[in-house]
Amino acid sequence: MNFKIVLIIAFFLLCSRLDAYSQDSQDTDSAKYTKFLPDYVKLQFAGGIGFLSLGLGYTFFDHRLDVSFFYGYVPIFISIDDLHSVSLQLTGKLIRIKVNEDIDLLPLNIGFFIHHTFGNEYWISLPSHYPDEYYWWAPGRNAGLFIGGEIKTKLLSDKTPASGTAFYVRVGSRGLYIASMFGNSAIPLSEIIEVGFGVAIYR
Amino acid sequence: MEQLRMKISKILILFALLTITACDGLFDYSPYVIDYSGQNKSVNQKNIKKLFSQKIDDTTIIALTGDTHRFYDETVDFVKAVNKKSSVDLVIHVGDITDFGLPKQYEWANSILLKLSSPYFVVVGNHDLVGNGSTAYKEMFGAFNYSFIYDSLKFIFVNTNSREFKFSGNVPDINWLEAQLQPNDNFTNAVVIFHVPPMDGDFNSSLEQAFHNTLTRYNNVLFATHGHLHHYEIYKPYNDSISYINVYGVEHRKFNIIKITNNKFEIETCEF
Repeated sequence: MNFKIVLIIAFFLLCSRLDAYSQDSQDTDSAKYTKFLPDYVKLQFAGGIGFLSLGLGYTFFDHRLDVSFFYGYVPIFISIDDLHSVSLQLTGKLIRIKVNEDIDLLPLNIGFFIHHTFGNEYWISLPSHYPDEYYWWAPGRNAGLFIGGEIKTKLLSDKTPASGTAFYVRVGSRGLYIASMFGNSAIPLSEIIEVGFGVAIYR
Repeated sequence: MEQLRMKISKILILFALLTITACDGLFDYSPYVIDYSGQNKSVNQKNIKKLFSQKIDDTTIIALTGDTHRFYDETVDFVKAVNKKSSVDLVIHVGDITDFGLPKQYEWANSILLKLSSPYFVVVGNHDLVGNGSTAYKEMFGAFNYSFIYDSLKFIFVNTNSREFKFSGNVPDINWLEAQLQPNDNFTNAVVIFHVPPMDGDFNSSLEQAFHNTLTRYNNVLFATHGHLHHYEIYKPYNDSISYINVYGVEHRKFNIIKITNNKFEIETCEF
């Protein structure tokens, strides 16, 4: 999966939103601008994209798809070097169960993410001192899949402009880990699993 | 509303605690986190200590493998096969212990090699240096270039992955190699171990001649051994006294045993 493809998909999704807004002629100017604001902010713990990751993003198709952009940080007490990274995460929410007026349960979210760590050693396109196709992967371009669940509540909705707060869990792995395990029984599944959880505050 | 919030909070706290307890070790922060401890740290030093605690006899027996990459199952079987041979003094891995240079791949490979009964030594390979693999290697094993003397034999491990260092001219470090080979009373012969052979395109061609000249200078190199090419061959690429031993990639399910007695070596192939 190429970064470019992901960016193109993200661009088209954004365009579809802009299109919808421009047809909404009753909007005042300020309301129009508000609509460009992200639909939510997320704070995620672990999940392979940072010790803590701060994200923002938009929802599409009646809250069935979240497209989130994360900045992730791994502090020096976790790793020998601190790590800064960005990732783009697409979460599809397949099932929504309305528990009551205040709580929605989303038991089956599936997602895709692409993750880039900053630093010269984490190159995306093969540096020029290698012949073509010398390495087939790129350390700066890690993609993976995950599955998860979410509880959407009205928490914070009465005292803040937020419409609600969601809590989510995701369990996933990434291509390079799956490739490592493939054909081997010596690597237990738990070794390649990346668990993370987070909170999302919706506007 | 207040009651509901309390309920939700309680459920969430319980849920978070459960997840944290159940998933300890499953929380991943980045594929590039290096947090080695215990048996994953200073592995070379630990193995040197282990080697020196062994009884010395008149024959030194070395088992050779390399290019283990993602062949984890084959590596497990290699370890079992070597452990069945009681007399192996040390195991040498000629590099590419990982495939993507990922810190986790270092841990996976080392967790398998740790099951070797004999001390083991790994030279750095080009794949091991991708991403932050060079930091991972140093954290887990130690310096790229290192040596020790066992039973009057000097084992010299040298980083020859010139391409990974953009052919900077410092890799391989010829001066270091030269200093290591300078004769003294502590050793009679040397075995030189590296990943990329000097005639390969990944070796700095401007250093090729100097490298080989250094190996021949003191007439004390018993043999040189390398990986990178995955197939077995014993050959004299420069038509002089120095034999190069190209080591089987572990995926062939074969490895070589070298027996060194009275400054002579013989080599046999074992299947597993």
